[in-house]
Amino acid sequence: MTRSDIWADVAPLLRGVERPGRYAGSEWGAHRPPRDGFAFCMVYPDTYELGQANQAVRILVNRVNATPGMVAERAYLPAADMADAMRDANVPLFSLENTTPLREFDCIGITLPHELCATNVLEVLSLAGVAVASEDRTEDDPIIIGGGPCASNPEPYVRAFDAILIGEGEESVPEVLAAIKEGRAQGQERAQILKALAQIEGTYVPALHDPNAEPAPHVRKRVFEGFAIADPWEPMVVPFVECVHDRLNIEVLRGCSRGCRFCQAGMIYRPVRERPADAIISAVERGVAETGYEEVSLTSLSTTDHSQIADILKRLNARFAGTGVRVSIPSQRLDAFGVSMADAVAGQKRGGLTFAPEAGTQRLRDVINKNVTEEDLMEAVKAAMGAGWQRMKLYFMIGLPTETDEDVAQIGHLADKAFELMRTLTPPEARGRLKMTVAVNVFVPKAHTPFQWDGQITPEEARRRVGLIRHAVRAKAVRVDYHEPKTSLLEAVMSRGGREVALLVEEAWKRGARFDAWTEHFSEDAWHEAARALGLDMEAVAHRRLDVADPLPWDHIDSGVTKSFLVRERSRALAGQTTEDCTFSACSACGICAPEGPRIVLQEERGIHG
Amino acid sequence: MADPRTFRLRVRYAKTGRLAMLSHLEVTHALERIVRRSGLPFALSQGFSPHMKLAFGPALPVGVGGSEEVFDVTLVSYVAAEKALVSLQEAAPPDLWPEHAAYVEPASAAASVAFTVSTYEVELDRALRQLIAPDQVTVVRKGKKKVLQVADFLVGEPVWDGRCVRFTLRSGEAGSLRADAFARECLKLSAQGCEPFQIRRFMRTALA
Ligand code: SF4
Repeated sequence: MTRSDIWADVAPLLRGVERPGRYAGSEWGAHRPPRDGFAFCMVYPDTYELGQANQAVRILVNRVNATPGMVAERAYLPAADMADAMRDANVPLFSLENTTPLREFDCIGITLPHELCATNVLEVLSLAGVAVASEDRTEDDPIIIGGGPCASNPEPYVRAFDAILIGEGEESVPEVLAAIKEGRAQGQERAQILKALAQIEGTYVPALHDPNAEPAPHVRKRVFEGFAIADPWEPMVVPFVECVHDRLNIEVLRGCSRGCRFCQAGMIYRPVRERPADAIISAVERGVAETGYEEVSLTSLSTTDHSQIADILKRLNARFAGTGVRVSIPSQRLDAFGVSMADAVAGQKRGGLTFAPEAGTQRLRDVINKNVTEEDLMEAVKAAMGAGWQRMKLYFMIGLPTETDEDVAQIGHLADKAFELMRTLTPPEARGRLKMTVAVNVFVPKAHTPFQWDGQITPEEARRRVGLIRHAVRAKAVRVDYHEPKTSLLEAVMSRGGREVALLVEEAWKRGARFDAWTEHFSEDAWHEAARALGLDMEAVAHRRLDVADPLPWDHIDSGVTKSFLVRERSRALAGQTTEDCTFSACSACGICAPEGPRIVLQEERGIHG
Repeated sequence: MADPRTFRLRVRYAKTGRLAMLSHLEVTHALERIVRRSGLPFALSQGFSPHMKLAFGPALPVGVGGSEEVFDVTLVSYVAAEKALVSLQEAAPPDLWPEHAAYVEPASAAASVAFTVSTYEVELDRALRQLIAPDQVTVVRKGKKKVLQVADFLVGEPVWDGRCVRFTLRSGEAGSLRADAFARECLKLSAQGCEPFQIRRFMRTALA
């Protein structure tokens, strides 16, 4: 059966909405596949501008299109004005390539990039005309699969998805689609197909997995072991509409094992796998030629940790000198080497230099395993002043486990001290241009981290602690930046809630919650009313402190990093002991590397850079 | 002053189909990327953050296509115009299609100032029975209302033929009148209490 193309219904709506270009598709690099045969639609559950550059969408669409017998298209959640216009005109959510209604696809995949997109998932399904709850779907409905970072605690999403894929999707998405295709071809019922999916490693089928069953279900995270040898050039769509991260992004390494104890990405994307310098450089050359981008970003969780980064930047700078092409790296290491790497990429000085010491005292930095010292920060400041920067931004977290008022006040003192150093290193006439920002965020406990058992502080407590920082800061040019995030409670609830939260999401969405990550759309009331109606205490979910012996809602999800490692890390944290990064020193036995399983891939030895 | 060692290529292109939905800024970004992908030896401006030397014809509103649009790109070495055109076409999406390329005199006016008279064609969902042009159009610019006298911009009279309306606007000292704002007023007056007209297609068909 040929799938429909509803462009004729969509086009009239575009004359009345903002930035209609984002619904028009036809971008450079997008392929319009045939409208028959087995088809997958990959959805980002937020607007096109936010999701266009998403790596999961880019990679998985490519992988599926490269698999014989199936095609993939993309879709995004329309902005509120378009969503309303579509509902009024009875136009269902459509894919960008062929303007095909989503419900005509065999399978819809929705990525879960952050904790505040759960109601958007339901909005996507509802606009698509698909039942928002898995249990209400009929035989004709597409199979709805999910995945992405937030799937590492899948319980708050179990009502919406038929299957949730844990870990990296490069191989598992084509496998799951092949199984759906096979099942459909044999005329199998939904329930049978889902049973087959549950057999595929890394696939969680909530309807078949009772988390309270004995023996407990067990789903092992997938790791794309071929990452390091795969071509770093990942073909991409070049949007017409201005989007976030609108540049040529080349993923240079995956994973980070610095082991910050609050960081989920650092735990769930292990082990570290670096791509070779030569392959990266040819990928950048090819990408620049094929996309026409003038800005290149070498992406990863810790680009400056790549063992060949200095060489890579040197070669890229030489290669693109005089062409107007700029290379950037997303995050700098907090030390002199980090600054020298930032200095090696042209044009970043206008944005100022950003570092994340995260905590104000060495004691607390040891607790969180942020292996930077005050000396590192001061060396970084010296190097930055020497290289001509005038603005610095320091990120800190409040509400970290064991934090005392002394730790909090020290954030202010540390910023003052760093700023004072900036001043002394700057000639008096230029000092007026110096600026420092202290950005403060509230700690959100995340599943699969050593701090998963710890509760979040209340908003009142957060306000009090920010007050301590403000009080401690002396220098006028140091600005303390804290926007009270009404959403951090919700983030914590989504991050560590159990199955009961899936119902909460549905009830909140029914009460109008959508675009929760957008300040102008976030409806605190919808969530609180939903919680009241269900008799659920959101504060308790977010703030409760658990015992390491307590069962966790995500115990059946095996991230590869063992629970005993997390427990050990937690006791080391409480004892103020740090754990070294295994890519720079010895293995700390987190559990992910196995004789048969994934392995760390480094191109050269990682060492102390001069 | 034009650099005598550079070459100014004037490209005519069409903005059509789905890409009529792009804004002027989006089109200019897309054209810049087309030039980069084409591999042509484009010139960069001097200075701290060098950028490509491009000049664009007058802006088209969102939702309005064009069959005779124009931009200039400065090249640092000579490439036969026909060859340059092929390179651009290979790097362009079909709905933003370079149709013609020719060198212009270094001293001649840039595309951004050379074109002041635009002819538009609007296709509607049904035939008109009358066409009434407004005397004034009120526009909002930067939050301020401004009343524009149509006579300052309109060239000749708007004409219609079945479902199709054609009109020509000139820009000049009085600034310019947005074609979509003018068309909206025309259609409102011309519908006179009946169902509002729906625009099916809106194109700039000539630029002089
Ligand atoms: S198992 Fe050891 S070497 Fe492998 S990622 Fe974990 S700590 Fe590092």
